Amino acid sequence: MFASSTQLKYWTFSGETELKQLRIEANQNFIKAHGRNVPEEERASYFLTYEEERLLLRQYEIILKEFCNKFQPPFPKCILGTSLAFFRRFWVNNSPMDYHPKDIMLTVVYLACKVEEFYVPIGQFVSNLKGNREKFADTILTFELLLMCKLRYHLTVHNPFRAMEGLLIDIKTRFKELENPERLRKNAEEYIDRCLLSDIVLIFSPSQIALSGILYSAGKEMINMDRYVTEVLMTGLEDVQRCIYQLKRIKHMLKRDKELNRELVGQIQKKLERCRNQENNPDSEVYKAKMAELLDDDEDLRSHKRARRNEEARRLDKELLE
Amino acid sequence: MEEQGCPRCKTTKYRNPSLKLMVNACGHSLCESCVDLLFIKGSGVCPECGVALRRNNYRLQVFEDAGVEKEVDIRKKVLRDFNKKEEDFGSLQDYNDYLEKVETIIFNLASGVEVESTRKMIEQYKKENKEFIKKNQSKLSRDEEYLEELIDMEKQEAASRKQTTMEEETREKALKRKHKDALIDELMFSDMPANAIMATHKQTSVVTKKEEETRPPPSAAPTFSTGMRFTQQSVFNTGGQVTESKPYVFTPLELETCGPPYPDIHSIMNDGFLSNVRPSTEMELAGGFEPQVACQRALQDTFCGLYYFPPMNQPCASPNSSGSWSQGNSNSPMCVS
Repeated sequence: MFASSTQLKYWTFSGETELKQLRIEANQNFIKAHGRNVPEEERASYFLTYEEERLLLRQYEIILKEFCNKFQPPFPKCILGTSLAFFRRFWVNNSPMDYHPKDIMLTVVYLACKVEEFYVPIGQFVSNLKGNREKFADTILTFELLLMCKLRYHLTVHNPFRAMEGLLIDIKTRFKELENPERLRKNAEEYIDRCLLSDIVLIFSPSQIALSGILYSAGKEMINMDRYVTEVLMTGLEDVQRCIYQLKRIKHMLKRDKELNRELVGQIQKKLERCRNQENNPDSEVYKAKMAELLDDDEDLRSHKRARRNEEARRLDKELLE
Repeated sequence: MEEQGCPRCKTTKYRNPSLKLMVNACGHSLCESCVDLLFIKGSGVCPECGVALRRNNYRLQVFEDAGVEKEVDIRKKVLRDFNKKEEDFGSLQDYNDYLEKVETIIFNLASGVEVESTRKMIEQYKKENKEFIKKNQSKLSRDEEYLEELIDMEKQEAASRKQTTMEEETREKALKRKHKDALIDELMFSDMPANAIMATHKQTSVVTKKEEETRPPPSAAPTFSTGMRFTQQSVFNTGGQVTESKPYVFTPLELETCGPPYPDIHSIMNDGFLSNVRPSTEMELAGGFEPQVACQRALQDTFCGLYYFPPMNQPCASPNSSGSWSQGNSNSPMCVS
């Protein structure tokens, strides 16, 4: 249930300000870690800025959605929701300069298929992609564990789809004055899709998003649903008021979403190619050397690395606990 | 065994892996045929160290390393005399000192270091602790006897079990044969149709099978599952009383839903929610997925989290401060007062 879920505890934030803060922090951390050779003035032009990162990631979200729509075999909607949720959560704490969004995007869909119990074997999965399929398969499998680690292994995502179904059932059963509630479905689904492409899923609970969608759809059809909300669905004045406040926030946020400027995205991608962290680029020499090292049979080297990695992990865990 | 050749004839080992190595008190090994050759008279010298040896002292080599063999042998002899146990000492420190002394003696004898003084020490110890040694030796033999008893009992039990299973098998076989004969007789001589006869026979065979099962299994001797009997000298003693604790009282789980109360399973089934849910297919019903399960899950998701309101520590864009509520929302009189 959402109320007792990790989604509520760890991945629901109080608002856009908090999200912006976390993302800027991730960006700054990367620049600090890798920008030792670059002088201060050039930093802005060499590394990606926060706005550029945001633009890039929004573009990749749209690409992700297209990928999911064209995927063979066609999968249920919840996988789109889950993969977008994973994608979005990942970038709250990490910078796209560290891991290229393209690699993460594929890994996210693969993991979402597994989590939502629609497992697609890796061979079938990469047959949907154009290009060097083996390389894609390798990339996905390499990044899968890393992705789970960065998601802090919180893999269950509560999507608004089921909540919307429940609302429709409730309306049909307890609010019989409304004729043919099915006409609300299509617009509500569109609304929820738009919400998935924005930060709303990281701020509001899925039932609130679903309710907001139904109300929007009712508004489009010129139906008044106030009586349903205040009398049938919820009672208790204060709770109702708070809920309504949240719904308004959702609507407001959705309206403010701006259109993407495609040309800028192209420029940003070129910039990314120069400044990205080559250790995590499957095409780079550094990465290949790292992989070869890992497979190296030299026991000494491995045990040293293991000791170092354990140190790292222990340090990170301590930080997490604090 | 094949890597280690016999030090004397060398070649014979590699050609005949079944030949065994025998070792003596000095620690050097010889293959069986060489032992026969050298010790025809009964006593001779070891070909490597030249120590006088007897033929009887040759025993089969257990360890590959002859040095280990020698040490094990010495250890056995020494421990026959130095057989004190932990209870015989006042403190742990004393016991450890004693053990260290024993190890030093064994090491000295095995590596040939200060053999004379060590032997003198052994003699002295034997003289001082004569009664002690004798008492401990008798204690040791009691333990061995007990172990042998256990082994005997196990053997007996295994034999008796084998016997009972064999008897059962023969009994079953005889019974089956009797049944078959009876069936054939009836088919030949009675007037009933063949199907009826087969049916009645099937019934009777099922009945006899049931009887056999319900017959109590041959009573197990009063033993633990590990095979140790309930004896008076039982080594276990149930230490301490079994503490009584309060019986568990069931309290139903209360879930915090952060939303309005949602209809429970009864109202789902009775209030008509199910008519708005797709009915389960046959496959789903077989798996136990009745429509109310899906319905309840959807409703739970709807109601749970509706009242979620984040802790407002940080300023965020409030919808009231900035204007435009455009299209489609003309009807909503709900406003936060």
